[in-house]
Amino acid sequence: MKKILLMGNPNVGKSVFFNRLTGANVIESNYPGTTVDYTKGYMKGINEDFEIIDVPGTFSLEPKDKAEEVAVKMLEEEKEALVICVVDASKIERGLYLILEIIERGYPVVLALNMWDVAEDKNMQIDIEKLKNILNIPVVPTIAISGKGFKELVLSIKKVASVEVNEIMEKVGEIK
Amino acid sequence: MKKKLSEMNYEEEGRVESIEQDLKNKVAGMGIRVGKNLRMITKHPLKGPVVVEVGGAHTSLALSVADRIIVEVKK
Repeated sequence: MKKILLMGNPNVGKSVFFNRLTGANVIESNYPGTTVDYTKGYMKGINEDFEIIDVPGTFSLEPKDKAEEVAVKMLEEEKEALVICVVDASKIERGLYLILEIIERGYPVVLALNMWDVAEDKNMQIDIEKLKNILNIPVVPTIAISGKGFKELVLSIKKVASVEVNEIMEKVGEIK
Repeated sequence: MKKKLSEMNYEEEGRVESIEQDLKNKVAGMGIRVGKNLRMITKHPLKGPVVVEVGGAHTSLALSVADRIIVEVKK
């Protein structure tokens, strides 16, 4: 069964995401050697099932504390996994730092711009097409608490592939 | 005027001028990089952490970390 890691900064709604995707069919487990928990669940895709893992929140892949260590270790252990990177759309910049690090390590990534409603409330305008173009990965606006964008998100999982971080950097260079 | 991030006053705004080398990667993930604008939100008493706004998000930093970041403060 293909594994999907839910990664993102702390407090962006990963766990709400997790419950949405899995229908809260939750098995709790302790990660050996730490006090930090991660959660595992299952999702029915279109033709295949996925195992979803709710990873503790992290700001970067250079861990500063135990929870972040778990997050990085889990990513490194699941070489074949694909990653749904959950970003708080209203605090998009710091999420993009993490997503670039994950892309750099060669994982196929889907970007979920969660809390889209909060960003709208703050009058923020995010050019999704441009982001898609630059990152060359699926980008989906979502509202985890209401379920908006989840259909598109699940459909986009099929389209996901690894991209070269250098290509992204070249494009960013052009924009500047 | 340049000062340490830890010396900024409430509501004061500034631009990150320099960060000590070994700290750079540590704070980059929280959106603090050279050239970023930030605003002081709260300084906790008893050598507690400081809270700054950067990139639309609040981030708290240990005072010892804030001591090692230099900010160009706007008048």
